[in-house]
Amino acid sequence: MTLFDRPFRTLLSREILRFTRVWMQTIVPSLLTSLLYVIVFGLALGSRIREVNGVPYLEFILPGIAMMTLITGAYMNSSWSVFDAKRERYIDEVLISPMSDFQITLAYTLGGTLRGIIVGAGVLVLGAPFAGVEVAHPLLLLFAGLCVSFTFAALGVLVGVLATRIEHISFLMNVILQPLTFLGGVFYSVEMLPEALRVGTLFNPIFHMVDATRYATLQVSDLVPYPTFAAVFFLALAAFGAAWWVVSRSKRLRY
Amino acid sequence: MINGERNGVPALQVKNLTKTYANGVVALNDVSLEIPAGRFFGLLGPNGAGKTTLINSIVGLARPDSGEVKVFGRDAHRDYRYARRMIGVSAQEVNLDKFLTVEEVLLYHAGYFGVPRDKARERAEELLDRFALQEKRRQRVNTLSGGMKRRVLFAQALMHDPEILFLDEPTAGVDIELRYRLWGYIRELNRGGLTILLTTHYLEEAEELCEEVAIISGGEIAARGANGELKERYGARTLEEVYLKVVGNDLVR
Repeated sequence: MTLFDRPFRTLLSREILRFTRVWMQTIVPSLLTSLLYVIVFGLALGSRIREVNGVPYLEFILPGIAMMTLITGAYMNSSWSVFDAKRERYIDEVLISPMSDFQITLAYTLGGTLRGIIVGAGVLVLGAPFAGVEVAHPLLLLFAGLCVSFTFAALGVLVGVLATRIEHISFLMNVILQPLTFLGGVFYSVEMLPEALRVGTLFNPIFHMVDATRYATLQVSDLVPYPTFAAVFFLALAAFGAAWWVVSRSKRLRY
Repeated sequence: MINGERNGVPALQVKNLTKTYANGVVALNDVSLEIPAGRFFGLLGPNGAGKTTLINSIVGLARPDSGEVKVFGRDAHRDYRYARRMIGVSAQEVNLDKFLTVEEVLLYHAGYFGVPRDKARERAEELLDRFALQEKRRQRVNTLSGGMKRRVLFAQALMHDPEILFLDEPTAGVDIELRYRLWGYIRELNRGGLTILLTTHYLEEAEELCEEVAIISGGEIAARGANGELKERYGARTLEEVYLKVVGNDLVR
């Protein structure tokens, strides 16, 4: 029995169908919101800010905005999917199928990862004409995008399993992820911060993700790039490990 | 067919199963049960007696504290892929994937259980016909009526061609006509060799369908035997009388 057997592929395709079928609700709003950021911060305010780290402001913030959209898309997809399936108990069908808990976790995580990648890439593609961005290291960008999307999709699975109310999902999004994203250097360089905040930012995992993406896109970064990529990769593994643990142990799924 | 192939290995063996909830309630207290292959078996008992917990412990939705479950002689925990493929479950509460159409529910279910695509399509056609769901096949399941959903649930449990079927209150909230149709169909499946474990509140349903019943009360098997045998043992005319005597209700005494 291999990892990518028919049961696994079926659950993954169900996860993809879930967000592609309602793309007007899952893909379009994320792209519109990001375009608003590009317009407001980039075109309107950006004309007052010349350059950050030697890069025009709009160009500087675009990779960060793409990453922010990707994080939200990945997290929302898997958290909602698992939460809904659990609340209405149709996840039982998956739990009593011959799939292993590892396969179940991976299928839900990859579904969210793909949605994150689609909206993240969409933002870059739509924003590029405004910012005039050319991607410096496309493969590194793909690697960073996949790792980050995977991380937040896995986190979404974890939250989807543990949440007992819808508010828990939005709480994590609004009270933890959004602030960390905004404080993660999407709109500014960490160099612009006072010393204490600069050190604090180093403990924000999203800062490392944004920085890796910015390096891959613009070849500009606050940190030394390659250790950052390694950190981003290990975060993805850790998040998946946690999600897997919760899927196989939580009494909210198998009591 | 199954009896012959499996040389008398029981379809299901449950040994000393115990399950305690976090709040201290003992849902299953040292339950042992053996169901021969091909048997139509009824599991009766009041609400909260442990029927669903027993089923869930067998299929892996509940984690028993101790005990052993074997499906056709193989450990249901260690050999879970095998065990889960053998069992089809029609749950008590309708739990259909609301994002999917009727046809998709069946095909995705088959996929989750590893049924090849062509075979799944064939099987879906057969079950859509059988449960008169052809007209609704492209409709999302959350737009269906209660009875229709129940039919889809039933068809879904059968999609991967299981050898044991768990029916947890299959006719709750179902109209008379559908109930009779379901009865006819399950009987036919059982004659074809399918082992069936039915839980029900309707004692006439158990009387009508089951060859053998177990009455579970307070997490323990309080009585077990063939219908006729139980009636004789308890000096009762109907299964209902047996039931009331066993679960300690003295109304009929």
